[in-house]
Amino acid sequence: MPGVPDEMIDPDGNVRAGWAALMSAFDALGHDELAARFERADQYLRDAGVFYRKYDGAEGKERAWPLAHIPLLIDESEWATITQGLTQRAELLERVVADIYGANELVARGLLPPELIARNPEFMRPLVGIKPASGHYLHFCAFELGRGPDGTWWVLGDRTQAPSGAGFALENRVATTRALSDIYAGMNIHRLAGFFRDFRDALEAQGKRLDGRVGILTPGQHNETYFEHAYIARYLGIMLLEGEDLVVVDGQVMVRTVAGLQPVSVLWRRMDASFIDPLELRYDSRIGTPGMVEALRNGTVSMINAVGSGILETRALAAFMPRLANAVLGTDLLLPEIATWWCGQDAERQHVLDSFDAMMIGPAFSMSLPFDDTRGTALGSAIPEHQKEALKDRIAAHGADYVGQEPVRLSTAPVYVEGKLEPRPITLRVYAARTERGWTIMPGGFARVGSSHDTSAIAMQRGGQAADVWVVSSTPVERVSLLPREGEKLVRNPAGNLPSRAADNLIWLGRYAERCEATVRILRAYNARVAELSNPDIPLLKHTRDYLEAVDVDATEALPLGLLQAIDSAVLSASQIRDRFSPDGWLALNDLQKTAQRFGTRIHSGDDATRAMTVLLRKLAGFSGLVHENMYRFAGWRFLEIGRRLERSIQIARVTGWFTGKDAPDGALEMLLEIGDSVMSHRRRYSVSAGTQSAIDLLVLDPLNPRSAIFQLAELRVQLETLPGGIEDGQLSPAAKLALELHTDLVIAEPGDMTPAALDKLASDIGMLASLVASAYFT
Amino acid sequence: MLYDVRLELHYDYDAPVQGGRHLVRVTPASIPGIQRVIAATLRYDPRPVVESQFVDFFGNHVTSIVFQDAHDTLDIRLSARVLVEDIHPPADLSPPLERLKDDIARTWSLTPDSPHHFLAPSPRIEISPAMTEYARQSVERTISVQAAVTDFCMSINRDFVYESGATDVETTPAEAFALKKGVCQDFAHVMIAGLRGVGIPAGYVSGFLRTNPPPGKPRLEGADAMHAWVRAWCGLDVGWIEFDPTNAMLAGPDHITIGHGRDYADISPIVGVLRTSGSHEAKQAVDVVRVE
Repeated sequence: MPGVPDEMIDPDGNVRAGWAALMSAFDALGHDELAARFERADQYLRDAGVFYRKYDGAEGKERAWPLAHIPLLIDESEWATITQGLTQRAELLERVVADIYGANELVARGLLPPELIARNPEFMRPLVGIKPASGHYLHFCAFELGRGPDGTWWVLGDRTQAPSGAGFALENRVATTRALSDIYAGMNIHRLAGFFRDFRDALEAQGKRLDGRVGILTPGQHNETYFEHAYIARYLGIMLLEGEDLVVVDGQVMVRTVAGLQPVSVLWRRMDASFIDPLELRYDSRIGTPGMVEALRNGTVSMINAVGSGILETRALAAFMPRLANAVLGTDLLLPEIATWWCGQDAERQHVLDSFDAMMIGPAFSMSLPFDDTRGTALGSAIPEHQKEALKDRIAAHGADYVGQEPVRLSTAPVYVEGKLEPRPITLRVYAARTERGWTIMPGGFARVGSSHDTSAIAMQRGGQAADVWVVSSTPVERVSLLPREGEKLVRNPAGNLPSRAADNLIWLGRYAERCEATVRILRAYNARVAELSNPDIPLLKHTRDYLEAVDVDATEALPLGLLQAIDSAVLSASQIRDRFSPDGWLALNDLQKTAQRFGTRIHSGDDATRAMTVLLRKLAGFSGLVHENMYRFAGWRFLEIGRRLERSIQIARVTGWFTGKDAPDGALEMLLEIGDSVMSHRRRYSVSAGTQSAIDLLVLDPLNPRSAIFQLAELRVQLETLPGGIEDGQLSPAAKLALELHTDLVIAEPGDMTPAALDKLASDIGMLASLVASAYFT
Repeated sequence: MLYDVRLELHYDYDAPVQGGRHLVRVTPASIPGIQRVIAATLRYDPRPVVESQFVDFFGNHVTSIVFQDAHDTLDIRLSARVLVEDIHPPADLSPPLERLKDDIARTWSLTPDSPHHFLAPSPRIEISPAMTEYARQSVERTISVQAAVTDFCMSINRDFVYESGATDVETTPAEAFALKKGVCQDFAHVMIAGLRGVGIPAGYVSGFLRTNPPPGKPRLEGADAMHAWVRAWCGLDVGWIEFDPTNAMLAGPDHITIGHGRDYADISPIVGVLRTSGSHEAKQAVDVVRVE
């Protein structure tokens, strides 16, 4: 496009160096192969469960990650300018924020208007005068860049509060190289892993110095970037924590784990500062930790970034950065930023009013990037005539609330649209991390690609895609990964790292999944008989309905609401611990939920429902298999297993008691064996038709039947004794003791002892066991 | 003027609470030129497992207390001896409101009493056109900032009815303004909202009043509980002046200060996080006796 720089084509119309290699590789692949490869990248993202959450209605929905398949190529020499510029900028930002919360010389010298800080919602007064435990305010920042018409890169915004997207940059890289692995291998592209390794090492060094663990502090699963928090936690092997996982004891932050309270000394904060402590910051925060600010005052915990650093994102601050660079660093900014006029000053306000039509007008204290701010920011000439005068009056009266900014025109880069390459505007997000050796800049990042040809920055508002960024070297690059380097000592994380909340969710995930399975089995057996007998009034069917009704499942519904709710509960428990099990397990669970919802409106009782239950049963088995076969046997797996065993033993005790009572109708025992998935075993073992004694023997007392109550209790004994505190100085924990007792009772019991009343008592004793586990590990 | 101050805060919980963490802001601070705290002690029942002190951004004394065991009542008792300076009402050297802006702009500072902190909306203060308009009438009747604030203080006292129970601790200034009723906290919040609306920096002062008046003087409104009033910044030459809209007067030797904030939220006597779902009932008793 004329007058607009393009990333691929230089001003003379030639294809730039790295791009030529990429384009000729594309040509060699041909159109169909290329399309197939891009589909492979999308498939990878779907399988890996890469989503982002978008809030456009009452409820946030997870959306597929919109990958633009063609990477943005930037030459190493040009990248060096960006690296230098951002290193300088990170240093400047550190000095500015340290002054705002410290000596306040910038205000005293007239370089920074006090109003800009005092009126700022991100100015955290309780943190004034508190030196960060690490000695620094900023440790991880992001910068939004755009290339202007003159070909140089401009800073469009700084992200210092809790910058997001680094995890997405990683996933973009994995997906893109999945599609273009041979091309990637043939070009010299800088790797991203080294950046993450250095930052993780820096976090761990800080943790060691302050004598505590490192965690990522997330607002939880409802946050739009929760997926990324879980992803980064998994990738770096760092605990993912929520406010309620933490408690402040004697001025020290502790995490509640299944092995008791453990000190935490470094928190990579992914929630906005004001929410971290309901006692001293936002009183209405429900996701914070009371006493957190006290811990900061005591210098026992390092926040990445320091609480209050978000003030640097204030849009109006951009107006002062060039002057601050000169005053603080004694030099000009290496990377310019978009010209900004704060209307709190007389001359600047007049300038904005005079050139109103050619300015982006927006709120001075906004923290969002101008082109992300669809509501607050607009080009002067685009504002309807009747609103213009009112806005000008407001600017004249309350200038401090407004800024004017030069509209930015962006460069374009090629995207693949319906088999063709088309130029689209792009912005670039780059990350900086503080390491032991100073700032390091991620050699890559992610590019946001606009959805239309319009190259004014405002076009970015209308969404678009994200592309991987390849920094191209002329010489071979170092290959790095997060695996330990040659000669590096292998460190195994201690097993006691499991936060209590995660363990609690794992138990419930295990229980709900098992509860779903038990319900589905009963419904399947019920519907099979409905299809055969076609009379719903016969006693066996009524007996089964009564059993289900007691657990809020209405068997007359083909797909009872009670079952859907149990599935939803399993998904809800799982969604809070996404960092703890594989993406495959999560996808299997989601698939189960979607399938059940789809059935919900379509199937009929009887044959139809029998088949539907078989499908659900298979999907449940798929989920259990994926989780149980692939999950590392850490404490997390044990809690999941305990949940599953608790629920299964309770279910089997209850259902056996119900179907072996004196009032049990004809056919009850066959039904029971089917529900207990033990028809075949029974035939093989007893070679007689089902009698009450043999059914009870098989379902309750047979240690070889993996569905029997005694089998579950044997497993529970093993798991409970292996948990932290399970056996201490030869003493069993109360839960392990009770499991032993219940197990022993069953070992010596005869089938005749297991009356319905005894089975009921067994079920409630196991319920007691569940409470003992909860009180030992979750409070 | 030397006073002995006694404060008792009593909380009754519906159900026993399991532990809790609170910040208590009731201990008067020494403020040069206004008062000197000679002694102050705080006692708690039950006794907290951890007790620590710090000074917050606005210079207030804060005690942080942590409870671990279950309890269904909480008592906090303050006893303090405070010497209050006898301040004479300053001569009016304040500028007209049009020039106050320049004085504010010339204050290149973010120290806790910088006027810049006291102009914007704050946690409990919204600026509304109605309250701004109400304050503007006082500005139009007068020729200086100090005179305008004095007039506004008198207007509120005249137009509002002091009535305990008409509002509660969560009542917003706009609600109190609509009711034209309330207690000292509401009077102070309405005055602050109005002053900020017209561009006069205004903050919240929490404290106590002398319980029994000097001979021949009426007993002041609000003397049997914790009290609140307002300070307004009247320009570089005058600085902060304290006004008590509940009693239509300048704060003087009968006003004992606990501390300052932008509004009630910055200096509420107790904020806390309890592990309970139930509600609680609070009572307070105040006794301020002149010593000599």
